[in-house]
Amino acid sequence: MSSVPAASHAKPRSAAMEALAALWRRPHVRACMLVVLAYLLVAVAGYAHLLPDHEAAVGDAQQPPSWHLATLLGTDILGRSVLWRVLAGAQTAVTIGLVTTTLAVPFGTALGLAAGYFGGWVDAIINWVYSVVVSVPDILLITAISYALGKGLTSMCVAIAATSWVSIMRLVRGEVLRHKGSDYVLAARSLGAGSRRIMFSEILPNVIHVAIVTSSLVLLAAVKGEVILTYLGLGVQDGASWGLLIAGASQDLTNEIWAPLLGTVTAMFLLIYSLSAIGDALRDVLDPRLA
Amino acid sequence: MGAYVVRRLLQAIPTVFGVALLTFLLFNAFGPDPVRTALGNHATAEAIANLRHQWGLDQSLPLQFVDFLRQIVTFDYGRSYVTGDDLGTQLKSGALVSLSVTVPPFVFGAIVNVSIALFITRHRDGIVDRAARALFIGAMSVSALVYVLALQYLLAFKLDWFPINGYESGWAAVKYLALPWLIQLLLLMGPDIRLYRTLFLADIDADWVRTARSKGAGEGRVLFRHVLPNAWIPIITQNVTTIPFLILGSFLMERFFSIPGIGNLTIDALSRGDLPVLKAVTVLGALALVLFNLVNDLLYAVADPRVRLS
Amino acid sequence: MKPIRRVLCCLSLALAAAGAAGADEPTVLTMPRYAQFDTLDPVQTFSALSDQLLQSVYSTLLNYAYLERPYKMEPGLLASMPTLSADRLTLTFKLRAGVRFTDNPCFPGGKGRVVTSDDVLYSIKRFADGRLNDKTWWAMKDAVQGLDAYHAATLKAAPGVDLTGSDVAGLRKVDATTFTIRLTHDNPLFLYALAMTATSIVPSEAVRFYKDRFGLNPVGTGPFHAEKELDRKGVIRLLKNPDYYGVYPSVGEPGDAARGLLKDAGKRLPLVDVLELPLIEENQPAALKFLRGEIDWRFLDRANFAKLIRRAPDGSFAVADEYAGRFGISYTTAPGIVYVALNMKDPILGGNKALRQALAAAIDVQAEIDVLLNGRGRKLDSIVPYEMPGNERDTGAPPHRKDLALAKKLMADAGYPGGAGLPPLTMSFYLADSDTRNMFDLLRAQFAAIGVQLNGSFQDVPAFLKATGAGNFQLAYYDWTADYPDAEDFYQLLYSRNVTPGPNMGAYANAAYDRAYEASRLMADGPARYAYFKTMNALIEDDAPLIGVFDPLRFGIFQKWVGNFKRNPLAIENNYLRIDPVAKRKGMQ
Repeated sequence: MSSVPAASHAKPRSAAMEALAALWRRPHVRACMLVVLAYLLVAVAGYAHLLPDHEAAVGDAQQPPSWHLATLLGTDILGRSVLWRVLAGAQTAVTIGLVTTTLAVPFGTALGLAAGYFGGWVDAIINWVYSVVVSVPDILLITAISYALGKGLTSMCVAIAATSWVSIMRLVRGEVLRHKGSDYVLAARSLGAGSRRIMFSEILPNVIHVAIVTSSLVLLAAVKGEVILTYLGLGVQDGASWGLLIAGASQDLTNEIWAPLLGTVTAMFLLIYSLSAIGDALRDVLDPRLA
Repeated sequence: MGAYVVRRLLQAIPTVFGVALLTFLLFNAFGPDPVRTALGNHATAEAIANLRHQWGLDQSLPLQFVDFLRQIVTFDYGRSYVTGDDLGTQLKSGALVSLSVTVPPFVFGAIVNVSIALFITRHRDGIVDRAARALFIGAMSVSALVYVLALQYLLAFKLDWFPINGYESGWAAVKYLALPWLIQLLLLMGPDIRLYRTLFLADIDADWVRTARSKGAGEGRVLFRHVLPNAWIPIITQNVTTIPFLILGSFLMERFFSIPGIGNLTIDALSRGDLPVLKAVTVLGALALVLFNLVNDLLYAVADPRVRLS
Repeated sequence: MKPIRRVLCCLSLALAAAGAAGADEPTVLTMPRYAQFDTLDPVQTFSALSDQLLQSVYSTLLNYAYLERPYKMEPGLLASMPTLSADRLTLTFKLRAGVRFTDNPCFPGGKGRVVTSDDVLYSIKRFADGRLNDKTWWAMKDAVQGLDAYHAATLKAAPGVDLTGSDVAGLRKVDATTFTIRLTHDNPLFLYALAMTATSIVPSEAVRFYKDRFGLNPVGTGPFHAEKELDRKGVIRLLKNPDYYGVYPSVGEPGDAARGLLKDAGKRLPLVDVLELPLIEENQPAALKFLRGEIDWRFLDRANFAKLIRRAPDGSFAVADEYAGRFGISYTTAPGIVYVALNMKDPILGGNKALRQALAAAIDVQAEIDVLLNGRGRKLDSIVPYEMPGNERDTGAPPHRKDLALAKKLMADAGYPGGAGLPPLTMSFYLADSDTRNMFDLLRAQFAAIGVQLNGSFQDVPAFLKATGAGNFQLAYYDWTADYPDAEDFYQLLYSRNVTPGPNMGAYANAAYDRAYEASRLMADGPARYAYFKTMNALIEDDAPLIGVFDPLRFGIFQKWVGNFKRNPLAIENNYLRIDPVAKRKGMQ
C-alpha cells in the first residue's frame, strides 16, 4: 500500500511557470498576453524583413483610407502606407521597450540588492546617486544625455533607462531590507555562505517579484516616453516610430485627416493597455502581501 | 525636531552638489556651444573669442564649475544667453504662471480622485470596480500628447468651447487655462485613482477596520472614518513630493497653449542652447525637491506619532 | 421740411454717426509671432523675428521700397539718397527735417525730440561697440575710417564705460541734419549696412534711462511705438505714431495698380491704429485662429497650405475655391536659397568630384518642391535667388535637372558602381520636425535610386552649428537668407576665406573661384560682373560643393478685410497695411 500521494509524481513547477499559469487562467489577462505576443511577433517579423516595406510608396499622396490592406489607413505625404508605418512603429516600440527594460531592470535590481544588503557606505553612495538623479527633471536629464551620446534609438533607450532604474532600485532595496534580518538569511550565513551567494541565491528570488512587476511599467513608460521625446526632437531619428507618426498627425488634423492619428493611437493603446493589465495581474499574483 | 531639520538640510548638501556636478558635466562639457548658437551664421573668430570671454567660457572647466557653485550659493543665476534677461526675475514670474497652470487641477484632482477611489473601494470587486479599473488603465494607455492634440482640436476649434491658446495675466487667464486644466485632470485621474485604490485596499481588511465593521458600522462609514484617516499619510507623501514638479510646470500644456511658464522657458532654452536657464531650472528643481521631501518627512512625523525622526 | 428731405436728413445724420462711430473705433491689425524675440536693442540682435518688430518701431537711414521689384533702397530717415564724392570714398548724407522720436519718459518732460546727426553718429558708434555688438558688426568691418580702431578700443574698455564721445575719423557731423562718412575703400556694398535694422537710429537718452531694460523699451521714429515695456511672451501692442514721416509709396510694379495696391498712394503711414502681435509658437493653434478670423494675416505652413491654396495649371497659386471669398494671398520668391552643402574635408566626399557630381545629378529638386512644399519653390540653376540681380537669367546658367543615367555613370566613374563599396552617408539637419523628416525621406529615396544609402541626423540649431562648425558632417541641409539684396552675399558662401566660423561650412577652397569672387565683389551689377558670376557658376557646377539648390516661395495669407498686402521679405508689411473695420467686425466668426 503506497502512502505517497499521487500528486507528488507531478513535476514541481518553478515559480515563474506558476505565475504564468495563474495569469493564463484569467480570461482578461489571457487576451492581453496574446496581444503582447502578437506585437512581439510583429517585431520579430520586422527584424526578419518579413514586414512589408514601409518606405515604399503604395499610392498617391495623402489618400484617404480604403478597403485594400495596404491603404487601410490611407497614405501619407510621400504615398507610403500608413498601416505599414504603424506596424514598423510597433517594431520600434517593442525594441525600445525591451532594450530600456533590459538596461534598467537588472541595473536597478543589482544596485538595490547591493544597497539593501551591504548598507553602510555602499548604501549611502547608491542613495546619493539616486537622490541626484531623481532631483533632475527627467526631460533635462534625457536631453543632456543625448548631448553626450548623440541622438538616435540606442542613446534614447540609454537615456530613458537612466531615469527608470531609480524606482526599481528603491523598491528592491526596500524589499531587501525587509528580508535582510529574516531567518533563512541568518541560517544561510551561519552555514558559512558568502555575501554574493546570500544575495543572489537567497534574497533575490524573494524580492524579484518587485522587479518583475515594475518591468512591465518601465516597458510601457518607455514606449509612451518615446512619443514625447520624439515630439521634442530627441527621439528616434530614422525609420518609423509611433512618436513620429503622432507628431506628424497634428498637422493632418487641421486638414481633417484623422486616420494616421487614430491608427497609431489604437496600436499604441492596445499594447500599453495589455502591458498595464499584465502588470496589474502580475502584482496580484506575485506579491505575497496581497495573496 | 530642530536638530533633525538641520541634519536633513546638511544631508541635502551632497545631493545638491551632485546635481550641480551632473548638470555642469552634461551641459557644459557635452552640451552645444552657446557662443556659436548666439552668433549664428556670421560668427567670426574674433566675435567668438569675445563672447566666450564675456560669458566666462574661456576659463578652465574646474574654474567654471566653481563659478557655478558660487552662483548656486548666492542664488544669482546670471543672465540668459539668448535674451540677456536677469534669470531671477524670469524664473519668478515663470514659476507663478506655471503654478497657475498646474496647481488647480492638482488640488481639485486630489479631492475628486480620493472621492472616486473611496467610492470604487466601497463597491470593490463588483462591476463598478472592474469597469473603472479597465477604464482607467485604458485612459492611461493614450499618450498625453494625443490628449492635447485631440482635445484642442475638438473642444477649442470644432466646438469653440474654449479659446485655442493664449494667455493674459490676472483673472483673465482663467478662460485660457480652462482647457489645460481639464486635460491635466483627465491625465491625473487614471494613475491617482489606481494608487489611492491600492492604498485603501491595503488597509481594508486590517484588524482595526474589521473591528469597526463588527461593531455594526456601515461600509461607507468604515471607509470614511477608519480607512481614510490612515491612508492620509501615504496620500500626503505622494502629493507633497509632487509639488516641486508643479512649479516646473507642464511643458506640454505650456507649449501647445502658449502659456509663458517655466516649462515653456525650459523647452525654449533647450532648443537654443541657453545653458544658464537650463542649469538654473535644474538646480532650483533639485533644491525644491529637497525642501519638499523635508517638509514631507516632517508632516509624516506630525501625522503619525509612531514615526521617530531618527 | 418736406418728408423726403426729412428722411434724407435723418439718414445722412445716421450715416455720419455710424461713420464717426466707426472712425472712433481703433483699427487693429493682428499678426502672430511664432517665437519670442531676444531683445529689441538693434545692435544686439539679428533674426527675422526681431527685424519684424524693429522695422515697426525704429527707422534706418535707408529702407527697401515696399512695392518695387527688384528690391531697391530708398531714403528712410534721409531726405534723399546719399551723394558720393569724386574719389568715391566720402558719402554725404542729409536727414529729413523734423523727424521726432516718440514721446517717452526717458526724455525731459516726456516729450520726444527731433532727430539730429548726433543721433546717427551715436547709433553708428554703438553699432561698432564690440561689447554690445557681436552679431552684426561684420557689416561695417573694414569699411569706415577709424571705426575699426574704435571697435578695438571698446573691446579693451570696461563694460559700461561709454566711449561714444570719442572721435572717429570717418564719421563727421557737418550740421544738425548733415553728416559724412569716409570709407576705407570704394565699397558699393556699404550702403546696405545702413538699411539693416541693426543700424536703426536710437536716442542716447533711452539707452541711458533704461540701461539693461533698453532691449524691451524701444524708443524710435518708426510708424508704431510701444505704450509700455514689451512683453516677450504675451501680446505685444504697438500704437500708431501720429508723427511718423513715412507715406505710402506711389510707385510699384506693373500690375500693382490693378491689384489695388496703389489706392493709398501718398497717404500718411501707418494706416492702422494698433498693431497687435501675440505669441503663438505652434502652427496648429495659429492656423485655427486664422480660420476663425482672430488673426489678420500670417505666413503659411505646409499643413495649412494644402487646405487653403490650390495651384492653377500654369503653376500660379490662388486661394482654394471654398475660401476664396474670405482670404487673399500674396507670394514672392525668398531672397534666399535652400541647399545641401557637402563637406569638402570629408575623406569620402572631399577628394571625389565624380561622387559629388553624381549626388548632384541624383537629386530631384523639382520633386522636393512639388511633393513636400506644395510647389512653393523655384528650382535654381545657380546659387543666386531668382529675383535678385545676377540670377540665372542674367548669367545664363545651364539648367540643372535630375539625370539618373548620368548619375549612375558618375557613380561608376567615382569608383562605386551601383553604390557598391560606398559606406552610408549622413545628412545633418538643424530641425527635427515632421517636415524636415519628410524631406529627408524623400532625399533618401532619391539617393537610393543610385545605390547611395543615406542616414539622417536631426539636431537642433545649437548642436547643428557646433557640428558643422567643427567640420563634423558629410552633407548638411541648410539655407541662407540674404542680409542684403546683392548676389555677392551668396557667392561669399564658397569663398575660401569664409571657412568656419564663417558660412563656408564645407570648407570649399578653389583659387580660381576666389579670384572671380574678389574681382566681382564690389562691382556694380552689369554684364562685366555677370561674366565673373558665370565663371563661378561653372566652377560650382563642376566641383559640386553645394547641390540641390532652390529658392523657396514666401507666402502670406490675409483676411479679405486687409488691404495693401504685398509679400515683402525685406520691408515689413505691417507698416503699410490697411484694415476695413466694418468688414472685420462682420467677418470675425
